[in-house]
Amino acid sequence: MHSYILRRLALGALAVIGVSVVVFVVLRVLPGDPLVAIFGPEGFTKLSEAERARYMADLGLSDPLPVQYFHWVHDIIRGNLGHSFFRAESVAEMIARRAPLTAEIALISVVLSWLVGIPVAVISALRPNSMGDNVARFLSILFLAVPGFWFGMLIVLGLLFMFGYRAPLANVALFDDPWANLQIVIGPAVVLGLGQAAYIARMARSSLLEVIREDFIRTARAKGLNRKMVVALHALPNALLPVITLSGILLGFVLAGSIPVERAFGTPGLGYAMAIAVSERDVFVMQNLVFLYAVVFVLLNIVVDLIAAWLDPRIRYA
Amino acid sequence: MSTTTQDAAVAQVPAVRVARPSGLRRVGRGLRWFARRSPMSAFWGLIAAAIVVIAIAAPAIAPYDPLKSDFRAMTKPPSERHYFGSDQIGRDTLSRMIHGSRASLTVAIGAVVLGTTLGAFWGLACGYFGGRFDLISQRVIEFLQSFPDLILAMAIAMALGAGMGTVIVAIAITRISFGGRVIRAVVLSLKEMSYVEAARGLGASHLRIMAQHILPQCIAPYLILATAHLGVAIIIEASLGFLGVGIPPPTPTWGNMLADSLNAGLIPPWWLVLFPGAAITLTVLAFNLLGDGIRDALDPRLRGPV
Repeated sequence: MHSYILRRLALGALAVIGVSVVVFVVLRVLPGDPLVAIFGPEGFTKLSEAERARYMADLGLSDPLPVQYFHWVHDIIRGNLGHSFFRAESVAEMIARRAPLTAEIALISVVLSWLVGIPVAVISALRPNSMGDNVARFLSILFLAVPGFWFGMLIVLGLLFMFGYRAPLANVALFDDPWANLQIVIGPAVVLGLGQAAYIARMARSSLLEVIREDFIRTARAKGLNRKMVVALHALPNALLPVITLSGILLGFVLAGSIPVERAFGTPGLGYAMAIAVSERDVFVMQNLVFLYAVVFVLLNIVVDLIAAWLDPRIRYA
Repeated sequence: MSTTTQDAAVAQVPAVRVARPSGLRRVGRGLRWFARRSPMSAFWGLIAAAIVVIAIAAPAIAPYDPLKSDFRAMTKPPSERHYFGSDQIGRDTLSRMIHGSRASLTVAIGAVVLGTTLGAFWGLACGYFGGRFDLISQRVIEFLQSFPDLILAMAIAMALGAGMGTVIVAIAITRISFGGRVIRAVVLSLKEMSYVEAARGLGASHLRIMAQHILPQCIAPYLILATAHLGVAIIIEASLGFLGVGIPPPTPTWGNMLADSLNAGLIPPWWLVLFPGAAITLTVLAFNLLGDGIRDALDPRLRGPV
């Protein structure tokens, strides 16, 4: 196990370095001129030559690219995430204020996806091709096709029309006012949770159907255990491993999905901040937020892999 | 994302002999066989085909010019004049939806073909040559997969600036890793086949072995993968439009229309939200189910008794 942990952490560290290079290349090297990205093509043509040079120097963009890269990495290590080009608040403050909401949304949605996806999968797998199975499969295929942000907009509109209800728009911390906080996060969490549940149900169903055909299930039935016990004690624990791994991959779906979904709900979380940053073409904020999201994704997947390895010796010793 | 589960299945697709159709009759017979085998997939295939036809014939079908505003019909709910209502500057929603299908399909097909093809050739080279090139390539693919798809596409689309070409490239880059992984796995198993060894023994060059003996076997997994990714690509394109980094307005796209609806007043009018999203859902549903059908048809292990 120790060697597996070490190997996984080393790969993770390598991935973080690789990710930082990709982010730097995409957001600093690809744009022909970062000033065009910041000011837009029209704004850029209005700047005089001297202004351009001054902005470039102020932003540290006149240094050679490798120097810029190391400056950026150095800043991140020191915890200096810079300022938005358009707002007074520093990026670090913004993250501290907004990230908890997004983290809550992610956590609730993952819990929800399991609570919905697994029972649906069990019902489906116990009676394949029955009415219930077909309904469940159709719903999961449907939810794979529904864009989360659109579903969110429909929920907001529906609540407004039917109950005249609108979730609070101001940011409320969990411990200040749990009820208001819950009203803010529940909408995006439900949308993202159901989206994931569709994948989870699909995966868990096929995984269960495979496990149910194994010899040890027949043995358990033959020794007289009833169907429910066999599923609960023998089939399900073995069928859940691929689901755990999938759930880790789906965290990327949650992190990315929360950006348009928070925009649809008007949730004041980090996803909304990212939506604003991208629509304002705020390169520096984007650079740090994209890096942050990717690092979080890498770290969460290390955790998920370690859980899977802890549960399944076959992974550890592979 | 939706493809992660399918990719695992695709990776294991063994060498499949793809029948080479010799003429229209062969194609017709193949389609009839497909329709008999899985009527549901054929039905959704027809819907997908209808959407493609609508996209191609958009100017002929759309009742109004999608860009023309009518100040007598600003933010009007569905009526006999405008079946799906009109937006805040009086543009017809139905016409914009019909034209929006063009952007969606062009981007989705362009991005998936470009990304999957690049990935497939990369995977072919990795699997065939192995060694250090493969090792480094696998790490690079891992770095690309460390980003959630939409976030990478957002960053690239923003960096490259607005436009249909950049959106296609941005989404294509997020597809490369999938093509690379799947085709590499297929090639790794093909490389050990005795007929490949026989070709090598006869002195065939690397290029000849790859082109003549390995590439044809990669067509089925490639098709499965590409169709499986069309739906995801459509959703990413719509999300980019919704976030304001897609194809720039006034070009009508489904994502842009949903973004516009948020600016149409304090409360977005329901018809501006409902219809474009329904178009996205229906299109993705059709392509996903068609993709499932193609996978079942091309993967012999999933074929039932004949």
